[in-house]
Amino acid sequence: MTETLPPSSVEAQLESSLQKIGIPPRPVILDKINAEMHKDEPDFNQLARIIAADVALSASLINITNSPYFGFRGRVNSPREALMMLGLNVASKAIAGIVMRKAFPKSPQLERFWDASARIARLSGWLAQRVTKSTLRADDAYTFGLFRDCGIPILLSRHPGYFDILTEANHEASRSFTTVEETTLPTNHAVVGYMLAQSWWLPDETILSIRHHHDVAILDTPSIPPTLHSRYLIAVSQLAEYLLQQHSGLSFTQEWGKLGPACLRLLNLTEDDVQELLTEATPIIEAED
Amino acid sequence: MPLALNQSMQPPPVEPIAGFINRKDCFAEIAQLATLSTPERPLAVIWIALDRFKQVNESFGHRGGDAVIAQLSQRLRDRTGTRGTWCRMAGDEFVCLVSTYNFDQIQQLAADLLHEIEIPLPIGGLLLHPSASLGIAILEESERPSLCLQRADRAMNTSKRAGGGRIITSGSEPMPGRLGVLLARHELELESKLHLALNHGGLNLHYQPCVDTDGQIVSVEALMRCPAHHLSPGEFIPIAEKTGLIIRLGEWSLLEGARFAKHLSVTGQPTVVSINVSRAQFVTANFSQTLHAALLCADVDPELIELELTESLFMDNSKLVQANLRAALDTGVKIAIDDFGTGYSCLATLKDITASKLKLDRAFVVALPQDRRAFAVVKAIAQLGNDLGMRVVAEGVENQQQLDTLRDAGVHAIQGYFYARPMPENELLAWLQNRRKQHD
Repeated sequence: MTETLPPSSVEAQLESSLQKIGIPPRPVILDKINAEMHKDEPDFNQLARIIAADVALSASLINITNSPYFGFRGRVNSPREALMMLGLNVASKAIAGIVMRKAFPKSPQLERFWDASARIARLSGWLAQRVTKSTLRADDAYTFGLFRDCGIPILLSRHPGYFDILTEANHEASRSFTTVEETTLPTNHAVVGYMLAQSWWLPDETILSIRHHHDVAILDTPSIPPTLHSRYLIAVSQLAEYLLQQHSGLSFTQEWGKLGPACLRLLNLTEDDVQELLTEATPIIEAED
Repeated sequence: MPLALNQSMQPPPVEPIAGFINRKDCFAEIAQLATLSTPERPLAVIWIALDRFKQVNESFGHRGGDAVIAQLSQRLRDRTGTRGTWCRMAGDEFVCLVSTYNFDQIQQLAADLLHEIEIPLPIGGLLLHPSASLGIAILEESERPSLCLQRADRAMNTSKRAGGGRIITSGSEPMPGRLGVLLARHELELESKLHLALNHGGLNLHYQPCVDTDGQIVSVEALMRCPAHHLSPGEFIPIAEKTGLIIRLGEWSLLEGARFAKHLSVTGQPTVVSINVSRAQFVTANFSQTLHAALLCADVDPELIELELTESLFMDNSKLVQANLRAALDTGVKIAIDDFGTGYSCLATLKDITASKLKLDRAFVVALPQDRRAFAVVKAIAQLGNDLGMRVVAEGVENQQQLDTLRDAGVHAIQGYFYARPMPENELLAWLQNRRKQHD
């Protein structure tokens, strides 16, 4: 969770804008794509037409496909080309990420939240290829980055005091983020995000990683579920967040202090490696900004 | 010592038994029989290892052990007569080769052989209860006979690891599923379909109305369906319970059910939605967090949600169960006791339960109206529920006679095909509207 702290002056506005929504239901377009994907011969043209009908969705999908984070050569110009380039599986995850953002009402603060999530997601996609020796697929890391904190906007909309809780959790240097939330709330953003992701039928690993992404014991204990894949997802997104904070010089959270050492152990990286990665990632981060 | 090493690689020498060929000859015999194998009458290998035979030798000495072997081998041979070739593979292991049976007959033969072994046997003034692990392998087309023998051995070992006293057919040995639980082949297939359903939206909820004796709708029960893979709840729920997936399914239905309750409420027909919570889900440490998250995500009035818990949970005095019960009640949701009357009903505990509904097990309803004793029990439970402030509901009601009898017994509400079968959301919405029109 970074760069998402809404100044208190707009807190009320944010809450009122979110008050009317329940948890966003899974968008119909994902079901259509899913149904097409499971046919013996998926009809790309049909899918491209569905996507092209939504101009904003088409633009976002093309944008993602051309993003340097995914490392595809050449540029795509249409939803159809994007589908061909990404493949249906990756495309459906990318679309899930795009429509999730759209499923929430627009507000300046939420825009900042989604922008931050999108930056973490994209850098996670790049890091997956760079540090996990392809154990982790770039698109899985990307999707996880997008959905990781999706419990936060829901809690902001439902719980009047959540903004303060969030501020406290972001400043907490020793207790886990979710422990701080639970001192005031009967639940936490990881569980709320997990429930949303589950109702959107995201893949198992993504769902479980959302639930455990502040749990240092998960990163350090190979014998307990979730799988190694899930632990990599968590570690890569934490590293991405840390690199972005290092790059911007702004640090809104204490998460790296708590989870960083375990992430580095899991990814088999040293502090020097992290500095090298930061140097390498800088032009890519700046190209996106 | 090289000699000892060589010896250790050989099977220990065993005494010959009349009518049993030895291990070496077994390989020649199986190769010979394999040439006669047909798809209708395939060659089958049944590998039998006596369970806990080492203890017999230790308790009664080797002479005692030999006496047991002699008697059991006699029984086995008598059972197959001339239709089986018997080999002694090790001190307490035998192989039966048969090539004149079809698949079902082979299974039956293996069961008969196990039965023969399990007949108690007097030894040294005591009655011994022998048991065995059996593995069956059927020779496949163009399979080497020695491989078939190995498969039977492996299947036998699987049976032994599972505790013995059972028959495992090669190819159907339990294997670890995705979540590490050992599953038979058809169960693996079901588990895999269930995972697919969870990852690709292959599940949905159907809703069955619960109607009181005045015709008013009390609630609707959410029931899981898996249309994507044509799996019936009777197929997938047991697998989900065995693998632990029931927790994921339960959490999913908690949110979906809560969301539907919200939908009913905002469309002007507020109705309580009852959601089943399995024991496995209820005893997780963070059950209360997921319940809160579901209520929060759906933004629903908790009074419109009812959790159906089986009665055994209420009898569980563990701290976690009690804490989760309290936490659930604190959210404001209703609690129903599901399948009451056939499990571990404890009337002393019933007085302490804060539940608003008591659902009679359908076994009572099936017996009505003929069974007067069942009627007496239902009447007593209805009275008890009434006195304790719980609404008593009968499930599985299919006809007018059952309805009349249940009404006479004082049951408050009815759920069953007589009123409505479980329906998808849209059908239920139409059903509710129709019913409302009829009553207006």
